[in-house]
Amino acid sequence: MNNQQGRDPTLPLWRAAVLLRVLTLLFALGVIIYHLDEYRRPWLALVMGGVMTVWTVVVAVRYLKPTEKLLAFTVFDLAVCCAVMTSSLLVLTPLQLEGEPVPLVPTVWVTGVVAAGAVAAGPVAGGVFGGVVAAFNYGVRGYVDTDLTRDLMLLVGVGFVLGLAAASSRRSAARLETALRTEAATAERERLARSIHDSVLQVLAHVRRRGGELGGDAAELAKLAGEQEVALRALVSSAPASTEDGAADLGARLKILETERVSVSVPATPVPLPAAAANELASAVREALANVGKHAGVTAKAWVLLEDLGSDIVVSVRDDGVGIAPGRVAAAEREGRMGIARSLRGRVAELGGSVTLETAPGEGVEWELRVPRERSGAK
Amino acid sequence: MVVDDHPMWRDGVARDLAERGFDVRATAGDAGSAVRIARTVRPDVVLMDLNLGEGSGVTATGQITAELTDTRVLVLSASGEHADVLEAVKAGASGYLLKSASVAELVDAVTRTAAGDAVFTPGLAGLVLGEYRRMAADPDPRDQPRLTDRETDVLRLVAKGLTARQIATRLVLSHRTVENHVQSTLRKLQLHNRVELARYAIEHGLDGEPDGTRQ
Repeated sequence: MNNQQGRDPTLPLWRAAVLLRVLTLLFALGVIIYHLDEYRRPWLALVMGGVMTVWTVVVAVRYLKPTEKLLAFTVFDLAVCCAVMTSSLLVLTPLQLEGEPVPLVPTVWVTGVVAAGAVAAGPVAGGVFGGVVAAFNYGVRGYVDTDLTRDLMLLVGVGFVLGLAAASSRRSAARLETALRTEAATAERERLARSIHDSVLQVLAHVRRRGGELGGDAAELAKLAGEQEVALRALVSSAPASTEDGAADLGARLKILETERVSVSVPATPVPLPAAAANELASAVREALANVGKHAGVTAKAWVLLEDLGSDIVVSVRDDGVGIAPGRVAAAEREGRMGIARSLRGRVAELGGSVTLETAPGEGVEWELRVPRERSGAK
Repeated sequence: MVVDDHPMWRDGVARDLAERGFDVRATAGDAGSAVRIARTVRPDVVLMDLNLGEGSGVTATGQITAELTDTRVLVLSASGEHADVLEAVKAGASGYLLKSASVAELVDAVTRTAAGDAVFTPGLAGLVLGEYRRMAADPDPRDQPRLTDRETDVLRLVAKGLTARQIATRLVLSHRTVENHVQSTLRKLQLHNRVELARYAIEHGLDGEPDGTRQ
């Protein structure tokens, strides 16, 4: 995994939270200097200014390298902030606390910890942190009024909103990573399937063919090669090609059904269909081909043709087997011996399409499966 | 002449052809030497693998058919390379055979290619059909070649594995007419490809000497 993916998705939010800390620190220090002469204990105000500066540096270092276990640290951060707020009881005169309100020592600096809690642990934590800070605000002032209540609303609201932002950026980062991984895995499987199909399967097919021609011991080897060819082909075809949005290339699905006896013709460009529809059609074709093997005779060949007519997808499966006499199809269907016809019609009707059958004695059987793209796309 | 980057396969095919009375003049293992050797040897038929280690069999096919008008290229390829096969056919190859074809099929295909016929496997018919359909769906109304209804019928039947004779019977045509329809679908595609290449060259200011006269 590279750096880009491994990076914490909330890092930009942490950077913003640290920037907020620094800016509010400068404001708080300004306020302290402005009111220094009026404080009850100016030296304590200066000490608190120092504490806030040092603590800002500490949290900046910590928050710019976010790890999973940040929540405990943010709780400690909250405690420090509340302590600095509480120090206002000693720094400010009673009149400054109640009568003609002067800002508390940390002023808006405490909003930073609400942001930190929200980014670290989500909307609930953000709201709770905001609530705790607001509670100390009430406690230190010792009264309730609209200004303090407005602060409460702002603190809780900001904590909640930032928490939502952090949670959703984490979620989408996780989703993106899963998608990238799936895509890489699919691409790799397709690459392997293609390369096996182009190389090993060709060689096995060649060995099988030449061995059969030579006879004797070579025929035995040819038989082994043939068995491996079938096994490998099945393995490759169990890795279906599909993309993240659920579309699959029907051409690729059908192409892997090609064998020594089965020719599969598809366009050079992909024929994208919803994965479910592509699966269903590929299964229907597989079923029709299995039927060729059963009824048309062992030497029968079969041809599959996939055509993309834009609005319709047409798949034809033809064999050069013994075929069926006219009238026999309906009779066989009535007697329930045409399970294949029922099954194919069922599958294709599910996709809103139709099946036609053409056959004559000695002319083989030809199925045509026609499926509208719209309907299969809606499913 | 046989072009393939696998020595074992190349020599095997050359031997098969020699045993059956063909005069195998040369072999080549990559696209560059295929073009160079073909210029010297001027073979009737080049058996071209598309999956060459260095350089593309498609490019070599285009160069050979453009320069040597009496040389025909028959693509002999693995089944997974259908996009490349279509490109090779558009570049001028006159046919395509799967590597898994039997020796008898190979001999027949080479004989027909040498005679100037197109060797259309069902797979190639499906590719050509798909390509015409793709062009028909293209919103760009440039003079795209179209198939006549008859040509479409013929191609569909070829793709479904019918022989030229079976197609002739089914469509009530002569055997020769079927062959002509097949040839013409290929010629239109190749002509269109050449026109497109020339247009591309002119639009991009590449129209100097044609490749064939430059050494």
